[in-house]
Amino acid sequence: MDLRGALFVPRNRMNAKIRLENHAAQEIKYTTCYMCACRCGIKVTLENNKVRFIQGNRNHPTNQGVLCAKGSAGIMKQYSTAKLTQPLMRKPGTERGDGIYEAISWEQALDVLGNRLEDIRATDPSKLAFFTGRDQMQALTGLWAQQFGTPNWAAHGGFCSVNMAAAGLYTIGFSFWEFGAPDWDYAKYFIMWGVAEDHSSNPIKIGLEKLKRKGGKFVTVNPVRTGYSAIADEWLPIKPGMDGLLAMSMVHVLLKHEQFDYEFLVRYTNAPWLVVQTPGQKGDGLFLRNENDQPLIWDLEKEAFRDGLAGDIAPALFGEYVAPDGRRVKTVMSLLAERYLDSRYAPENVALEVGLPAGTIERIALEMAQVAFRETVELPIEWTDVWGKKHDKVIGRPVAMYAMRGISAHSNGFHACRAVHFIQMLLGALDAPGNFRARAPYPKPIPPHQLPENSIDVINAPNTPLSRPPLGFPTRPEDLVIDEFGNPLRIDKAYSWEVPVASHGLMHMVITNAANHDPYAIDTLILFMANMAWNSSMNTSAVQDMLRAKDPDDLGEYRIPFLVVIDAFHSEMTNFADLILPDTTYLERHDCISLLDRPISEPDAAADAIRYPLVEIDRNVRPWQEVMVELASRLKFPAFTNPDGSRKFKDYPDFIVNYERSPGIGFLSGWRGKDGTKSLKGEPNPKQWEKYIENQSFHAHHWPDSQKYMRYVNQEYLEVAADAGFVGKVEPIIMQFYSEPLQKFRLAGQGLYDGPQPTNQVDRERLVKYFDPLPLWYEPLEQQRVDAKEYPFFALTQRPMFMYHSWDSQNVWLRQLMAQNYMYMNARKAAEMGIKDFDWIWVESHNGKIRCQVKTMEGTQEDTVWTWNAIGKQKGAWGLKENASEATKGFLLNHLISELLPEIPGERRITNSDPVTGQAAWFDVRVKIRKAEPGESGSWPQFDVLKPYPGDERYERPEVLRYDARSHEKN
Amino acid sequence: MHPALSVIFFTVASGAGFGLISLLFVTDFFKLGGGFSREQLAVGGVIAMGLIVFGLLSSTFHLANPKNAWRALTRFRTSWLSREGVFAIGFMPLALIYLASILFDAPLWLREAFGLLTAVLAWITVFSTGMIYACLKTIRQWNTPLVPANYLALGYASGSLLLLLGAVYAGLDTTPFIAMSALIVAIAAVLKAIYYFWIRSPGLTPTINTATGLTRARIKLLDTGHTHGTFLTQEFGFQLARRKAGVLKVVVFAVGFGVPGLMLLWLFDQQGGVAAAAVAAAAGIIGAAVERWLFFAEARHVVNLYHGAQRC
Amino acid sequence: MRLGLVIDLDVCVGCHACAIACKEWNASGTTGPLSDYEPYGAEPSGVWFNRIRHFEMDEYPYNKTINFPMSCMHCEDADCVTVCPTGASYKRAEDGIVLVDQDKCMGCNYCSWACPYGARELDRSSGTMKKCTLCIDRIYDEALPVEERQPSCVLTCPAHARMFGDFDDPDSAVSRTVRERGGFLLMPELNYNPTNTYLPPRRKPVIEIDTKPKGGLKESIKQFANKLVRR
Ligand SMILES: Nc1nc2c(c(=O)[nH]1)N[C@H]1C(S)=C(S)[C@@H](COP(=O)(O)OP(=O)(O)OC[C@H]3O[C@@H](n4cnc5c(=O)[nH]c(N)nc54)[C@H](O)[C@@H]3O)O[C@H]1N2
Ligand SMILES: Nc1nc2c(c(=O)[nH]1)N[C@H]1C(S)=C(S)[C@@H](COP(=O)(O)OP(=O)(O)OC[C@H]3O[C@@H](n4cnc5c(=O)[nH]c(N)nc54)[C@H](O)[C@@H]3O)O[C@H]1N2
Ligand code: SF4
Ligand code: SF4
Ligand code: SF4
Ligand code: SF4
Ligand code: SF4
Ligand SMILES: [Mo]
Repeated sequence: MDLRGALFVPRNRMNAKIRLENHAAQEIKYTTCYMCACRCGIKVTLENNKVRFIQGNRNHPTNQGVLCAKGSAGIMKQYSTAKLTQPLMRKPGTERGDGIYEAISWEQALDVLGNRLEDIRATDPSKLAFFTGRDQMQALTGLWAQQFGTPNWAAHGGFCSVNMAAAGLYTIGFSFWEFGAPDWDYAKYFIMWGVAEDHSSNPIKIGLEKLKRKGGKFVTVNPVRTGYSAIADEWLPIKPGMDGLLAMSMVHVLLKHEQFDYEFLVRYTNAPWLVVQTPGQKGDGLFLRNENDQPLIWDLEKEAFRDGLAGDIAPALFGEYVAPDGRRVKTVMSLLAERYLDSRYAPENVALEVGLPAGTIERIALEMAQVAFRETVELPIEWTDVWGKKHDKVIGRPVAMYAMRGISAHSNGFHACRAVHFIQMLLGALDAPGNFRARAPYPKPIPPHQLPENSIDVINAPNTPLSRPPLGFPTRPEDLVIDEFGNPLRIDKAYSWEVPVASHGLMHMVITNAANHDPYAIDTLILFMANMAWNSSMNTSAVQDMLRAKDPDDLGEYRIPFLVVIDAFHSEMTNFADLILPDTTYLERHDCISLLDRPISEPDAAADAIRYPLVEIDRNVRPWQEVMVELASRLKFPAFTNPDGSRKFKDYPDFIVNYERSPGIGFLSGWRGKDGTKSLKGEPNPKQWEKYIENQSFHAHHWPDSQKYMRYVNQEYLEVAADAGFVGKVEPIIMQFYSEPLQKFRLAGQGLYDGPQPTNQVDRERLVKYFDPLPLWYEPLEQQRVDAKEYPFFALTQRPMFMYHSWDSQNVWLRQLMAQNYMYMNARKAAEMGIKDFDWIWVESHNGKIRCQVKTMEGTQEDTVWTWNAIGKQKGAWGLKENASEATKGFLLNHLISELLPEIPGERRITNSDPVTGQAAWFDVRVKIRKAEPGESGSWPQFDVLKPYPGDERYERPEVLRYDARSHEKN
Repeated sequence: MHPALSVIFFTVASGAGFGLISLLFVTDFFKLGGGFSREQLAVGGVIAMGLIVFGLLSSTFHLANPKNAWRALTRFRTSWLSREGVFAIGFMPLALIYLASILFDAPLWLREAFGLLTAVLAWITVFSTGMIYACLKTIRQWNTPLVPANYLALGYASGSLLLLLGAVYAGLDTTPFIAMSALIVAIAAVLKAIYYFWIRSPGLTPTINTATGLTRARIKLLDTGHTHGTFLTQEFGFQLARRKAGVLKVVVFAVGFGVPGLMLLWLFDQQGGVAAAAVAAAAGIIGAAVERWLFFAEARHVVNLYHGAQRC
Repeated sequence: MRLGLVIDLDVCVGCHACAIACKEWNASGTTGPLSDYEPYGAEPSGVWFNRIRHFEMDEYPYNKTINFPMSCMHCEDADCVTVCPTGASYKRAEDGIVLVDQDKCMGCNYCSWACPYGARELDRSSGTMKKCTLCIDRIYDEALPVEERQPSCVLTCPAHARMFGDFDDPDSAVSRTVRERGGFLLMPELNYNPTNTYLPPRRKPVIEIDTKPKGGLKESIKQFANKLVRR
C-alpha cells in the first residue's frame, strides 16, 4: 500500500562532497599474489607504506585482471596480528607443545641450526627430513635437500593430489593439477570431476563464464553441489569413490557405440602397441619390443611387426598375433576393448554402485562423443609432426575436462584419474582446440625422465649431494628407493614396495614414521609452510601426541629430537617447534615462481613470475629463501660455493639470477642473456629482476600458433622445448593407455620379474592387485576394512572459495564470511534421522569421533556428509582470541581420518594412501552420526589454549577495527 | 523487527501525553464532570508535556549520531519522521501557550483557540508517528492505515485513563470521564482486534520467490554468507514464536483493555476510587507497552526473505 | 543517466570476491572506514556494502544452487531516500546513484527499514548509515585509467558475473544484455523500481545425439575391424 505521502523521490542537485583518491600520495606496484597456488598477478596501490588497494593485473596471463576474495583480502593478511615477529627458541626446561618460548637473535638461530645440520651432514645426512607445504619454490627447496644429501625431502604433493599428477604423467604426458588446463576459448562441452576450487582458481572461473556464454554445456560430477557445481548445466551427484567406475562405464559406452577417434589412437597413443600374452611367465604383459627396445606394432600394409615409434607405419589397432619368437601378442586396444566391453562396465550394471541412473551415464558419454565428433573445431593452422608430416589444420575435439581432489583424494584415485584420461584419449581430445591442453614445461616424456636418487652409497655418503633429485618417476622395481632387504630408504617410505610410484613423497606419513622410528630414527625435522599439527595431518590429535612423545629408551629425548618450523604466522604447528624461524609475508620479500617448478604457464604461453618487496619489514623476520641460501653457503653446498670455497651467491636474488641448472637455464626464463633479449634460455642477466619489475613482475613466452597444439608430437614445439630443457630431446610423446611400468611392478608382485621383488606377502598382494596396467576400480582401501552398515556415510571436505586452508581465519575480513563450519547433510536423509539445522551431532569413524553442528541442504548426495576444510582452529592460534568461534564451534574433520589403514592382525600397519602413488586418502573415511544429548554443545575435541609468543605484545586486538589507508582527508 | 525499548517507551509515553493533553482540552472546553480547576488543568498539562518531552528525548537515544538530530526537521516534504518531528516541535509552543493561558487566565477565545490548535497538532503528531511505520512497504504488518488509527486510539485510550485518574483524584463527577474512556478503550480494542485479524492473513506479499526472482520452484536459503549476526540480522532478524505472540495478544487484551474495562465498570459502580482509576491507567499503559513491543516483534521486514524466511 | 549493475545468476559461483573487493576499496573510500566489530573475537561482524547469499532451488536430485550477490539497487523509487528525515540520503539527479551524506546522517536507521534489499548498514562507530556508493570515487575519477573507472566489485569478479553501465541508454551493454537475457528485478511488487537487474540462469543446452547404438564392438574385435590409418 502506498502510504508514503510523497509523490516522488526527490533528485538531489546538491550532492555531498565525494572524496577522490589522493593519487599524489600513492604508488602503484605489480607483484604476484600468494594467497593461494594460483599465483595471479596483482596491482598494489600503496599509500604511505600502507596498502590501499589490491586488484588484479589486467595484463597477467593467469587472472587477466580479476581477483578472488583471498587475493583482495591480502590487505588484512598483511596487517594480521598472527604474524610472527622474531626467531623463537623453546624455553629450556619446558616441554614441547607447552608453547613457552624465548626470543633469540637470528645469529643464534642460524648457529644453532647450522651447527646441527653440519653434524648431521657430516655423519648421516638422512637424519635430516625437510618437508614443505604448498610452498611455491620447490625447485629451490628440492635443490637444497639434494645438495644437503638427504633423500628425505618432499613438498605437499603426496597429501595433495599426486594421484592426478602421476596418473597424467604416466598416461598423457601432462596432467590435471597445474600441468594442463581446459581450452576455454573453443570448448563446447566441459565435464568437471570432483573440483571445488582447485589451484587454478581464477582461470576456472573466467573459463566457466566463457564456456557458458558461448552456449557450451557444463557437467559436474560431484557428490555436492556448491560453488562451480552450482552453475553447472547438469549435476551428477555421484557416490564418493566411484568416479573410476563411472569413467570406465563411459569408456564402455564409447567403445560399444564405436565412438572413438581412430586416427588419434593409431597415431598418438600406444593403442596399437603389442602386448605379450604369456600369463604366468616372466615378461608377460610387457610390450613386444625389437632389439633396440622399441615397442612394436603390426603394420597392416607391410604385414610385419614394426617400430611403434616410427612415422611411416600403418598399425593395426586391433588384433592378436604371434611374435617371431612364438609368443602370443595382442594390441593394447584389443585388451582395452575386451576389458571395458565386459558387461561389468555396462551402465546398467554400475548404476547402483555409482549412484547415477544408467541412462544418464550412457547419455553423457554419447553427448561427449557427439560434441567431439560432430561439432569438431578446425583451425587453419599449419604445423609439422615429429615424423615430418605437414598438417594444414589442427582438429579439435571440443570436449574439455578437469578433475581434482574428488578423484585424487581416494585410494583408488590413480586408476580413476587414468580412466578419465582414457575418455580423453578415446575422444582424441588432448592438447588441441577446445579440449584439455598442456601448460609448459609439459608435456614431457611418459613418465618424465627423472628418477629419484636411490643409490644407498650416495645417500649415506657424508657431506655429499645426491646425484639426482630426491623425487622422480620410477618405471620399474630397480628404481625404488629401498635397501638390499627391501627396506625403505626414505622416512616417508616413498618409492618402497608399499607405495612404489610415490612421485611426490608422502608428507602425511613423516611425523608418524619419524615418531615410530620406522623405518629409522631421524634427528631433525624441518617443516616449512605446513600446518602439520593441525589441518594438513590426518589424525590430528594423535599427531600432536606424537610430536610430544619422548623416547622410551632415552627419556630426555623426543622421538623426533629436533623440530624446526618456518612459518610466517602463529599456526598450530609453530607451537610444537623447538626452533621457530619467522618468515616474511608475500609483500615483503623476493620470490620466484619458476618454470623449473610448478608453472603458472597457460596453454598459450609459458610463463613465470616474481615477487619483490613492496612493504617494509617491521619485524625481526627473514625470508626463508634467504635463510636457505645462507645455510647452504655456511654448509658449503657445492652448488652454492665457488671452487675456492668462498660463498657463491650473495643472497637469494643473486642466486636466482646467477644459478644455472644447465647452461643458459635458470630459475627465471624471461630477459635472459647478457643484454636481456633472450627468452627461456640464455646466459644470466644481472638486470633480470629489474626487467621483471619493469614488466609487472611476470614473463610470458607466447607460443606461435604452430606451436600451440598437439605438442606431444609437434616438431616445432618440441625443438623449442628441448632447447629450453622442458624435454630431453625431440621425440614423440606417445600416450599410454597401457602402462608398462605398472605391469613391471605387478610382475614383481607375481614373482615374475627379473630384478628386485618384494618379500612381504602384503606387498606382493598389493602389487598384483593394484598395479593393473589398465585402469581398474576397486573399493577404496579403508572402506574395504570398515563396515558400511555401521558407518553408513562418506565424509568429505571442500575448500571454501574465500579461504585458503588454515591461514585465512586470521584475516579479519575473510573470517566474517565464515567463522564456523557446519557438517552438511542431505535434507531428506537428515529428516529421516530426526536431525534438524543447527543440531549438535556426534560423528564417529573407526578412528575417532567429533562433535559438530549440522546444516541440511538439498545439494548433497544422500550417503554423503561434508564440511568446509580447515575452518576449525585451536584456541589461541592465528592471532585470534580464545573465544573465537572457529575454536569453540568450528571443527576439523581430520580427527576422524587415520593416516594408517585399520589394523589387520598379523599385518604391519599400512599407510592410508593410494597403493600406487601414496596419495593420502582423505576422502575414504566412513562415518556414523547420532544426535548429541541435550546440553551437549560446542565442538569436540578441544585442545589447550595456545599461548602468545614473546613479541605478540605489539599487537593490540581492538574490539572495533577501522582500517583506512588514507594518508589524509581526500579532496 | 527488533523491539527497541527506547522507541517503545517513546511511542507509548508520547502517545499517552498527546492523548492526555488533547482530552484535557476537550474536558476544559466542555467542562466535563464539572470541570477541573485551573491548577488541576495545569498539572495535567505538565504531566502530559512531561510524557511527551520525555518520550521525544528517549527517541533520540536510539540515534547513533544524535548531533545531527536537528537535521531531522529538514525533510518535511517527504519524510513522515521529519513531519513527526516538525509537528511535535510545532506542538510545543502551542501547548505551552495553551497551558499558560489556563494558568494566567487568558481570554477564553485565546485559551480555546490554542487548546484546539494544541489538540489538533497532538492528533497530527500521533498520526505522523503512526505513519512513520505505516508508510513502509517493506513491512507488511505495518503498511496499513490501521497503524495510525491504532496509534491514535491507544494514545487517546492511555490519555483518557490518565485523565480519568485525575478526575477521580480531583473528585469530579466521573461519569463523563468513564464514558469517554470506555468509548475510546472500546474503539482501541476493536481496532486492535481488526489489526490482529488482518495481519494473520498474508495476502499477496513478497515471498522468497519474488525476492529472488526465482519463481519456478521451491527456494531455500543455504547460507547467508556471514557466520555471525550482521546489522541486518540484528535490526530485522527478530523472530517471535507464534505461541508467544498469541499469549502476548491475550495479555494486551486482558491487561490493556480488559483490566481498564473492569475498573471502569467498578468505578461506574461508584467504587474503587483512586486505586481503581490508578490500576486502570497503569494497566492501560502497560497494555499499550506490550502492544507496542508486539507491534515491533511481529513485524517481519522483507529483508528476512534473504535470510531464510519463506514469506513475510 | 541511470547507473547500476547487472548481476548474472547463471555464472555467479558465489566466490565472495566482489564482497571483499568492495570492502577493500570502500574501507579507504569516500565513506570509509567501514568498521569491523570483534575482528579477533567470538563473533566477528562488520559493515559491508555487498553480501553474497546462497540459495537452493527445487529438491534433490533436481536441485540447483544459486549464488546471490546483493548490494544497493539504486532504485528509481527509492523510499530509503524519501523517508530520510535529515536529507542525508539522497539520489543524485545526474546518474541516479543513491548515497548517504555522512555529514548529515543522524543514524536513525529509518532508511534501512525502508530498504527492501538489505542494502544499508549502520556503522556503529561513526554513527552513520553506509551503503554501496556504486564506487562513485572510482567511476568518475579521471586519474584512473579509463578501463578501471568501474566499480571495484565489477573489476574483480572472476566469473564476469557483474556488469556496470547506464540503463537509460538503450544501446549500452547493460541494457542490451538485460534485453537479450531476460533480466529481471527483485521484488517488483514493491515498486521500488530497482536499477540493478538480475539475469536468470540460462536454459540447459540440449545436445541431440545422432549416433545409433551399434551391435557392439566385441563382435567387431573378433572380425579385426581394422582400418588402414597411416601415421
Ligand atoms: N579457496 C581455496 N582454493 C584452494 C585451496 C584452498 O584451501 N582454498 N587449496 C588449494 C589446494 S592445496 C588444492 S589441493 C586445491 C584442491 O582443489 P579441489 O580439488 O577443488 O579440492 P577440494 O576442495 O578438496 O574439493 C574436492 C571436491 O571433490 C568432491 N568430491 C569428494 N569426493 C568425491 C568423489 O568421490 N567423486 C567426485 N566426483 N567428487 C568428489 C568434493 O565434494 C569437492 O567438491 O585447491 C587449491 N585452491
Ligand atoms: N580434511 C582435510 N584435510 C586436508 C585437506 C582436505 O581436503 N581435507 N587437504 C589437504 C591438502 S590438498 C593440502 S595441500 C593440505 C594443506 O595443508 P598445509 O600445506 O599445511 O596448508 P596451510 O594450512 O595453508 O598451512 C601452511 C602453513 O604455511 C604458513 N604460511 C603461510 N604463508 C607463509 C609464508 O609466507 N611463509 C611461511 N614460511 N609460511 C607461511 C601458514 O601460516 C600455515 O601454517 O591440507 C590437507 N588437509
Ligand atoms: S586465486 Fe586468489 S588467492 Fe589465488 S593467487 Fe589468485 S587472487 Fe590470489
Ligand atoms: S565475484 Fe562474481 S562470481 Fe564471485 S560472488 Fe561476486 S558476482 Fe559472484
Ligand atoms: S536498494 Fe535500498 S538503499 Fe538502495 S536505493 Fe533501493 S531502497 Fe535505497
Ligand atoms: S540513518 Fe541517516 S540516512 Fe538513514 S534515514 Fe536516518 S538520517 Fe537518513
Ligand atoms: S559498486 Fe562499489 S560500493 Fe557498490 S557493491 Fe560494488 S564495489 Fe561495493
Ligand atoms: Mo593441496
